[in-house]
Amino acid sequence: MSRDSREPKSWQSHTSAILSGFFGDWLAQRESPLAVKTALLHEGKRLDLAKLDIPQPKGTVILLVHGLMGQESIWEFPGQPGVHYGSELAQVMDANALCLRYNSGRPVHYTGATLTNLLQTLKEHWPVPLEKLVLIGHSMGGLVIRSACHQGEIAGHSWPQCVESCVYLGAPHDGSWLAQTAHETAGMMQSMPTAYLKVVGKFIDSRSEGIRNLTAGDILKDLDQSPPLLAGARHFAVAGLLSKRPGHALNRIFGDLLVKESSARGGGRKGWTMTDSVCFTGVSHVRLAHSARINQQLREWLT
Amino acid sequence: MKPAHNLDWWLGAADLVAVGVTEGASHIGQVHLAIADHSFNVLARVPVTRPVSEPVRVIHHGISRCCYGAVAQSGRLCQWLVRLQRKPPGSQ
Repeated sequence: MSRDSREPKSWQSHTSAILSGFFGDWLAQRESPLAVKTALLHEGKRLDLAKLDIPQPKGTVILLVHGLMGQESIWEFPGQPGVHYGSELAQVMDANALCLRYNSGRPVHYTGATLTNLLQTLKEHWPVPLEKLVLIGHSMGGLVIRSACHQGEIAGHSWPQCVESCVYLGAPHDGSWLAQTAHETAGMMQSMPTAYLKVVGKFIDSRSEGIRNLTAGDILKDLDQSPPLLAGARHFAVAGLLSKRPGHALNRIFGDLLVKESSARGGGRKGWTMTDSVCFTGVSHVRLAHSARINQQLREWLT
Repeated sequence: MKPAHNLDWWLGAADLVAVGVTEGASHIGQVHLAIADHSFNVLARVPVTRPVSEPVRVIHHGISRCCYGAVAQSGRLCQWLVRLQRKPPGSQ
Protein backbone atom coordinates (compact mmCIF):
# COMPACT_ATOMS: atom_id res chain seq x y z
CA MET A 1 0.00 0.00 0.00
CA SER A 2 1.48 3.32 -0.98
CA ARG A 3 1.93 6.08 1.55
CA ASP A 4 -0.73 8.25 -0.09
CA SER A 5 -3.42 5.57 -0.13
CA ARG A 6 -3.49 5.28 3.65
CA GLU A 7 -6.57 7.03 4.92
CA PRO A 8 -6.27 9.15 8.06
CA LYS A 9 -8.72 8.88 10.94
CA SER A 10 -12.00 10.66 10.35
CA TRP A 11 -11.43 13.52 12.80
CA GLN A 12 -7.90 14.02 11.54
CA SER A 13 -9.19 14.07 8.00
CA HIS A 14 -11.83 16.68 8.98
CA THR A 15 -9.19 18.77 10.76
CA SER A 16 -6.91 18.63 7.73
CA ALA A 17 -9.79 19.71 5.47
CA ILE A 18 -10.63 22.68 7.71
CA LEU A 19 -6.99 23.76 8.11
CA SER A 20 -6.44 23.34 4.38
CA GLY A 21 -9.38 25.66 3.76
CA PHE A 22 -7.88 28.34 5.97
CA PHE A 23 -4.18 27.96 5.11
CA GLY A 24 -4.09 25.34 2.35
CA ASP A 25 -1.78 27.19 -0.01
CA TRP A 26 0.69 27.84 2.81
CA LEU A 27 0.48 24.22 4.04
CA ALA A 28 1.09 22.93 0.53
CA GLN A 29 4.04 25.25 0.05
CA ARG A 30 5.46 24.00 3.38
CA GLU A 31 4.86 20.40 2.23
CA SER A 32 2.88 19.85 5.40
CA PRO A 33 1.21 16.45 5.88
CA LEU A 34 -1.86 18.41 6.99
CA ALA A 35 -2.42 19.71 3.46
CA VAL A 36 -5.15 17.68 1.76
CA LYS A 37 -3.89 15.84 -1.30
CA THR A 38 -6.02 15.79 -4.44
CA ALA A 39 -7.68 12.47 -5.15
CA LEU A 40 -10.64 10.92 -6.93
CA LEU A 41 -12.56 8.54 -4.71
CA HIS A 42 -14.90 5.70 -5.54
CA GLU A 43 -16.99 4.35 -2.67
CA GLY A 44 -14.62 6.06 -0.24
CA LYS A 45 -11.48 4.54 -1.72
CA ARG A 46 -8.80 6.49 -3.48
CA LEU A 47 -8.57 5.70 -7.21
CA ASP A 48 -5.25 4.94 -8.80
CA LEU A 49 -5.81 6.34 -12.28
CA ALA A 50 -2.93 4.33 -13.75
CA LYS A 51 -4.63 1.02 -12.85
CA LEU A 52 -8.31 1.69 -12.34
CA ASP A 53 -10.06 -0.96 -10.31
CA ILE A 54 -13.79 -0.31 -10.70
CA PRO A 55 -15.92 -3.45 -10.23
CA GLN A 56 -18.62 -2.50 -12.76
CA PRO A 57 -17.51 0.44 -14.89
CA LYS A 58 -20.27 2.30 -16.69
CA GLY A 59 -20.25 4.76 -19.55
CA THR A 60 -21.63 7.50 -17.31
CA VAL A 61 -19.71 9.05 -14.45
CA ILE A 62 -21.15 11.38 -11.82
CA LEU A 63 -18.52 13.47 -10.07
CA LEU A 64 -19.18 15.29 -6.80
CA VAL A 65 -16.91 18.22 -5.93
CA HIS A 66 -17.04 19.52 -2.35
CA GLY A 67 -16.58 23.12 -1.26
CA LEU A 68 -14.29 25.16 0.98
CA MET A 69 -13.07 23.20 4.03
CA GLY A 70 -15.19 20.28 2.93
CA GLN A 71 -14.45 16.70 2.11
CA GLU A 72 -16.36 13.85 0.53
CA SER A 73 -18.23 13.07 3.75
CA ILE A 74 -20.23 16.31 3.40
CA TRP A 75 -22.26 14.60 0.65
CA GLU A 76 -23.52 11.79 2.86
CA PHE A 77 -27.12 11.94 4.00
CA PRO A 78 -27.36 12.12 7.81
CA GLY A 79 -27.18 8.64 9.34
CA GLN A 80 -26.59 6.98 5.95
CA PRO A 81 -22.86 6.44 5.41
CA GLY A 82 -21.94 6.06 1.75
CA VAL A 83 -25.34 7.30 0.53
CA HIS A 84 -25.23 10.62 -1.34
CA TYR A 85 -26.56 12.34 -4.45
CA GLY A 86 -24.02 10.48 -6.56
CA SER A 87 -24.86 7.01 -5.26
CA GLU A 88 -28.60 7.67 -5.55
CA LEU A 89 -28.34 9.05 -9.10
CA ALA A 90 -25.93 6.28 -10.12
CA GLN A 91 -28.65 3.69 -9.46
CA VAL A 92 -31.20 5.33 -11.72
CA MET A 93 -28.74 6.57 -14.36
CA ASP A 94 -26.69 3.34 -14.56
CA ALA A 95 -23.57 5.29 -13.67
CA ASN A 96 -20.53 5.29 -11.41
CA ALA A 97 -20.31 7.97 -8.75
CA LEU A 98 -16.95 9.49 -7.90
CA CYS A 99 -15.98 12.18 -5.39
CA LEU A 100 -13.15 14.66 -5.71
CA ARG A 101 -11.06 15.49 -2.66
CA TYR A 102 -8.83 18.54 -2.90
CA ASN A 103 -7.00 21.20 -0.91
CA SER A 104 -9.64 23.93 -0.87
CA GLY A 105 -7.22 26.63 0.29
CA ARG A 106 -5.39 26.55 -3.02
CA PRO A 107 -6.55 28.98 -5.71
CA VAL A 108 -9.65 27.87 -7.60
CA HIS A 109 -7.77 28.11 -10.93
CA TYR A 110 -5.10 25.76 -9.56
CA THR A 111 -7.68 23.18 -8.45
CA GLY A 112 -9.51 23.66 -11.77
CA ALA A 113 -6.30 22.91 -13.68
CA THR A 114 -5.67 19.85 -11.51
CA LEU A 115 -9.22 18.60 -12.06
CA THR A 116 -9.06 19.09 -15.82
CA ASN A 117 -5.91 16.96 -15.98
CA LEU A 118 -7.44 14.34 -13.67
CA LEU A 119 -10.57 14.08 -15.81
CA GLN A 120 -8.56 13.77 -19.01
CA THR A 121 -6.51 10.96 -17.45
CA LEU A 122 -9.70 9.36 -16.14
CA LYS A 123 -11.28 9.47 -19.60
CA GLU A 124 -8.19 7.91 -21.17
CA HIS A 125 -7.95 5.12 -18.57
CA TRP A 126 -11.63 4.44 -17.92
CA PRO A 127 -12.23 0.72 -18.55
CA VAL A 128 -15.19 1.38 -20.91
CA PRO A 129 -15.71 4.34 -23.29
CA LEU A 130 -16.69 7.34 -21.19
CA GLU A 131 -19.77 8.78 -22.83
CA LYS A 132 -21.38 11.02 -20.26
CA LEU A 133 -20.10 13.12 -17.36
CA VAL A 134 -22.32 14.77 -14.78
CA LEU A 135 -20.53 17.26 -12.56
CA ILE A 136 -22.09 18.33 -9.26
CA GLY A 137 -20.33 21.02 -7.22
CA HIS A 138 -21.17 22.34 -3.80
CA SER A 139 -20.15 25.93 -2.97
CA MET A 140 -16.52 26.43 -4.11
CA GLY A 141 -16.85 23.09 -5.90
CA GLY A 142 -19.15 24.78 -8.44
CA LEU A 143 -16.42 27.34 -9.21
CA VAL A 144 -13.85 24.54 -9.50
CA ILE A 145 -16.09 22.78 -12.05
CA ARG A 146 -16.45 25.97 -14.14
CA SER A 147 -12.70 26.57 -13.95
CA ALA A 148 -11.91 22.98 -14.98
CA CYS A 149 -14.37 23.08 -17.90
CA HIS A 150 -12.89 26.32 -19.23
CA GLN A 151 -9.29 25.22 -18.78
CA GLY A 152 -10.07 21.82 -20.30
CA GLU A 153 -11.49 23.49 -23.42
CA ILE A 154 -8.50 25.83 -23.69
CA ALA A 155 -6.11 22.87 -23.33
CA GLY A 156 -7.98 20.98 -26.06
CA HIS A 157 -8.95 18.12 -23.76
CA SER A 158 -11.61 15.69 -24.94
CA TRP A 159 -13.43 15.23 -21.61
CA PRO A 160 -15.41 18.52 -21.74
CA GLN A 161 -17.26 17.10 -24.78
CA CYS A 162 -18.59 14.33 -22.51
CA VAL A 163 -20.05 16.76 -19.99
CA GLU A 164 -23.80 16.36 -20.14
CA SER A 165 -24.77 18.45 -17.09
CA CYS A 166 -23.22 20.69 -14.47
CA VAL A 167 -25.06 21.32 -11.23
CA TYR A 168 -24.03 24.17 -8.95
CA LEU A 169 -25.28 23.88 -5.36
CA GLY A 170 -24.90 27.20 -3.54
CA ALA A 171 -21.89 28.13 -5.69
CA PRO A 172 -20.82 31.75 -5.11
CA HIS A 173 -20.63 32.72 -8.79
CA ASP A 174 -20.67 36.40 -7.83
CA GLY A 175 -18.85 35.91 -4.53
CA SER A 176 -19.82 35.24 -0.93
CA TRP A 177 -20.86 38.08 1.36
CA LEU A 178 -18.66 36.64 4.15
CA ALA A 179 -15.53 36.57 1.96
CA GLN A 180 -16.33 40.10 0.79
CA THR A 181 -16.72 41.27 4.40
CA ALA A 182 -13.39 39.63 5.36
CA HIS A 183 -11.70 41.31 2.38
CA GLU A 184 -13.08 44.74 3.26
CA THR A 185 -12.40 44.35 7.00
CA ALA A 186 -8.79 43.28 6.38
CA GLY A 187 -8.21 46.27 4.11
CA MET A 188 -9.80 48.66 6.60
CA MET A 189 -7.83 47.28 9.57
CA GLN A 190 -4.53 47.37 7.67
CA SER A 191 -5.07 51.05 6.86
CA MET A 192 -5.66 51.96 10.53
CA PRO A 193 -2.87 53.85 12.33
CA THR A 194 -3.19 51.74 15.49
CA ALA A 195 -0.81 48.76 15.74
CA TYR A 196 -3.31 46.35 17.30
CA LEU A 197 -5.90 46.95 14.59
CA LYS A 198 -3.21 46.36 11.96
CA VAL A 199 -2.50 43.02 13.65
CA VAL A 200 -6.17 42.03 13.32
CA GLY A 201 -5.96 43.03 9.64
CA LYS A 202 -2.81 40.93 9.20
CA PHE A 203 -4.51 37.94 10.82
CA ILE A 204 -7.53 38.19 8.49
CA ASP A 205 -5.13 38.67 5.59
CA SER A 206 -3.46 35.34 6.35
CA ARG A 207 -6.50 33.56 4.84
CA SER A 208 -5.86 31.27 1.90
CA GLU A 209 -6.03 32.12 -1.81
CA GLY A 210 -9.02 29.83 -2.04
CA ILE A 211 -10.97 31.98 0.41
CA ARG A 212 -9.84 35.13 -1.42
CA ASN A 213 -11.22 33.71 -4.68
CA LEU A 214 -14.65 33.59 -3.04
CA THR A 215 -14.68 37.38 -2.70
CA ALA A 216 -15.77 37.78 -6.32
CA GLY A 217 -16.11 34.16 -7.48
CA ASP A 218 -12.79 34.16 -9.38
CA ILE A 219 -12.10 30.98 -11.31
CA LEU A 220 -9.10 31.95 -13.43
CA LYS A 221 -5.62 33.32 -12.78
CA ASP A 222 -6.50 36.36 -14.88
CA LEU A 223 -9.08 37.92 -12.58
CA ASP A 224 -10.44 40.16 -15.36
CA GLN A 225 -11.65 37.18 -17.37
CA SER A 226 -15.19 35.89 -16.92
CA PRO A 227 -15.49 32.82 -19.12
CA PRO A 228 -18.88 31.62 -20.33
CA LEU A 229 -20.52 28.43 -19.18
CA LEU A 230 -19.39 25.30 -21.00
CA ALA A 231 -21.22 25.15 -24.32
CA GLY A 232 -23.08 21.97 -25.16
CA ALA A 233 -23.77 21.09 -21.52
CA ARG A 234 -26.83 21.76 -19.40
CA HIS A 235 -26.27 23.97 -16.37
CA PHE A 236 -28.42 23.94 -13.25
CA ALA A 237 -28.17 26.22 -10.22
CA VAL A 238 -29.53 25.51 -6.76
CA ALA A 239 -29.76 28.24 -4.13
CA GLY A 240 -30.65 27.87 -0.47
CA LEU A 241 -32.28 30.27 1.95
CA LEU A 242 -32.00 30.15 5.73
CA SER A 243 -35.60 30.94 6.55
CA LYS A 244 -38.65 29.14 5.19
CA ARG A 245 -40.28 32.52 4.47
CA PRO A 246 -38.76 33.76 1.17
CA GLY A 247 -39.06 37.46 2.03
CA HIS A 248 -37.50 37.10 5.48
CA ALA A 249 -34.75 39.58 6.34
CA LEU A 250 -32.34 36.72 7.17
CA ASN A 251 -32.61 35.49 3.59
CA ARG A 252 -31.93 38.93 2.14
CA ILE A 253 -28.89 39.48 4.37
CA PHE A 254 -27.32 36.04 4.56
CA GLY A 255 -28.92 33.97 1.80
CA ASP A 256 -28.10 30.36 2.70
CA LEU A 257 -25.78 31.67 5.46
CA LEU A 258 -22.73 32.15 3.22
CA VAL A 259 -24.03 32.71 -0.31
CA LYS A 260 -26.91 34.92 -1.37
CA GLU A 261 -29.54 33.67 -3.79
CA SER A 262 -28.55 36.00 -6.65
CA SER A 263 -24.91 34.89 -6.41
CA ALA A 264 -25.88 31.21 -6.36
CA ARG A 265 -27.91 31.80 -9.54
CA GLY A 266 -25.05 33.74 -11.15
CA GLY A 267 -27.27 36.81 -11.42
CA GLY A 268 -24.33 39.16 -11.86
CA ARG A 269 -22.78 37.24 -14.76
CA LYS A 270 -23.57 38.56 -18.24
CA GLY A 271 -24.41 36.22 -21.10
CA TRP A 272 -25.18 33.24 -18.91
CA THR A 273 -28.15 31.02 -19.56
CA MET A 274 -28.80 28.44 -16.90
CA THR A 275 -30.93 25.57 -18.15
CA ASP A 276 -32.86 25.83 -14.90
CA SER A 277 -32.39 27.15 -11.41
CA VAL A 278 -34.31 26.65 -8.21
CA CYS A 279 -34.26 28.08 -4.72
CA PHE A 280 -35.02 26.02 -1.62
CA THR A 281 -36.22 27.85 1.46
CA GLY A 282 -35.18 26.58 4.88
CA VAL A 283 -32.04 24.92 3.48
CA SER A 284 -28.72 26.22 4.76
CA HIS A 285 -25.43 26.26 2.88
CA VAL A 286 -24.12 22.99 4.31
CA ARG A 287 -27.49 21.23 3.96
CA LEU A 288 -27.42 21.92 0.22
CA ALA A 289 -24.90 19.08 -0.03
CA HIS A 290 -27.19 16.43 1.50
CA SER A 291 -30.84 17.35 1.31
CA ALA A 292 -33.61 14.93 0.34
CA ARG A 293 -35.50 17.75 -1.42
CA ILE A 294 -32.50 18.58 -3.57
CA ASN A 295 -31.94 14.89 -4.27
CA GLN A 296 -35.46 14.77 -5.70
CA GLN A 297 -34.78 17.89 -7.79
CA LEU A 298 -31.56 16.36 -9.16
CA ARG A 299 -33.49 13.24 -10.18
CA GLU A 300 -36.00 15.38 -12.07
CA TRP A 301 -33.27 17.31 -13.86
CA LEU A 302 -30.78 14.58 -14.60
CA THR A 303 -32.78 11.41 -15.24
CA MET B 1 -4.25 4.58 9.96
CA LYS B 2 -0.66 3.33 9.93
CA PRO B 3 1.52 4.54 12.85
CA ALA B 4 4.08 6.14 10.48
CA HIS B 5 1.40 8.20 8.74
CA ASN B 6 -0.21 9.10 12.05
CA LEU B 7 3.14 10.33 13.38
CA ASP B 8 3.61 12.35 10.21
CA TRP B 9 0.19 13.98 10.74
CA TRP B 10 1.04 14.85 14.35
CA LEU B 11 4.38 16.28 13.30
CA GLY B 12 2.52 18.45 10.78
CA ALA B 13 0.17 19.58 13.55
CA ALA B 14 3.14 20.33 15.83
CA ASP B 15 4.77 22.34 13.04
CA LEU B 16 1.59 24.37 12.55
CA VAL B 17 1.28 25.03 16.30
CA ALA B 18 4.97 26.02 16.46
CA VAL B 19 4.52 28.48 13.59
CA GLY B 20 1.37 29.78 15.30
CA VAL B 21 3.28 30.31 18.56
CA THR B 22 6.15 32.08 16.74
CA GLU B 23 3.90 34.38 14.71
CA GLY B 24 1.36 34.76 17.53
CA ALA B 25 4.01 35.84 20.06
CA SER B 26 5.28 38.48 17.65
CA HIS B 27 1.79 39.84 16.90
CA ILE B 28 0.51 39.65 20.48
CA GLY B 29 3.69 41.44 21.55
CA GLN B 30 2.93 44.26 19.13
CA VAL B 31 -0.65 44.51 20.41
CA HIS B 32 0.52 44.46 24.06
CA LEU B 33 3.08 47.24 23.54
CA ALA B 34 0.65 49.35 21.49
CA ILE B 35 -2.01 49.14 24.23
CA ALA B 36 0.59 49.75 26.96
CA ASP B 37 1.77 52.85 25.10
CA HIS B 38 -1.74 54.33 25.48
CA SER B 39 -1.48 53.94 29.28
CA PHE B 40 2.09 55.26 29.44
CA ASN B 41 1.10 58.26 27.30
CA VAL B 42 -1.61 59.10 29.87
CA LEU B 43 0.85 58.65 32.75
CA ALA B 44 3.34 60.93 30.98
CA ARG B 45 0.76 63.73 31.03
CA VAL B 46 0.06 63.45 34.77
CA PRO B 47 2.53 65.62 36.75
CA VAL B 48 2.92 63.15 39.64
CA THR B 49 3.75 60.14 37.42
CA ARG B 50 5.55 62.01 34.61
CA PRO B 51 9.11 61.69 36.05
CA VAL B 52 8.93 57.89 36.37
CA SER B 53 6.62 56.99 33.48
CA GLU B 54 9.33 56.99 30.79
CA PRO B 55 11.84 54.81 32.69
CA VAL B 56 9.03 52.40 33.62
CA ARG B 57 7.92 52.32 29.97
CA VAL B 58 11.46 51.44 28.87
CA ILE B 59 11.73 48.68 31.49
CA HIS B 60 8.23 47.37 30.75
CA HIS B 61 8.81 47.29 26.98
CA GLY B 62 12.25 45.72 27.44
CA ILE B 63 10.97 42.90 29.65
CA SER B 64 7.95 42.37 27.38
CA ARG B 65 10.12 42.17 24.25
CA CYS B 66 12.40 39.66 26.00
CA CYS B 67 9.43 37.50 27.04
CA TYR B 68 7.70 37.54 23.64
CA GLY B 69 11.05 37.04 21.94
CA ALA B 70 11.77 34.01 24.12
CA VAL B 71 8.36 32.50 23.29
CA ALA B 72 8.90 33.15 19.58
CA GLN B 73 12.36 31.56 19.75
CA SER B 74 10.86 28.50 21.49
CA GLY B 75 8.41 28.26 18.60
CA ARG B 76 11.29 28.42 16.11
CA LEU B 77 13.15 25.73 18.05
CA CYS B 78 10.06 23.50 17.90
CA GLN B 79 9.80 24.07 14.12
CA TRP B 80 13.43 23.04 13.76
CA LEU B 81 12.91 19.92 15.89
CA VAL B 82 9.84 18.96 13.84
CA ARG B 83 11.84 19.38 10.61
CA LEU B 84 14.49 17.06 12.02
CA GLN B 85 11.88 14.41 12.83
CA ARG B 86 10.00 14.60 9.54
CA LYS B 87 11.03 12.39 6.65
CA PRO B 88 11.53 14.15 3.33
CA PRO B 89 8.17 14.42 1.52
CA GLY B 90 7.49 11.50 -0.82
CA SER B 91 9.73 9.05 1.05
CA GLN B 92 8.23 5.81 2.37
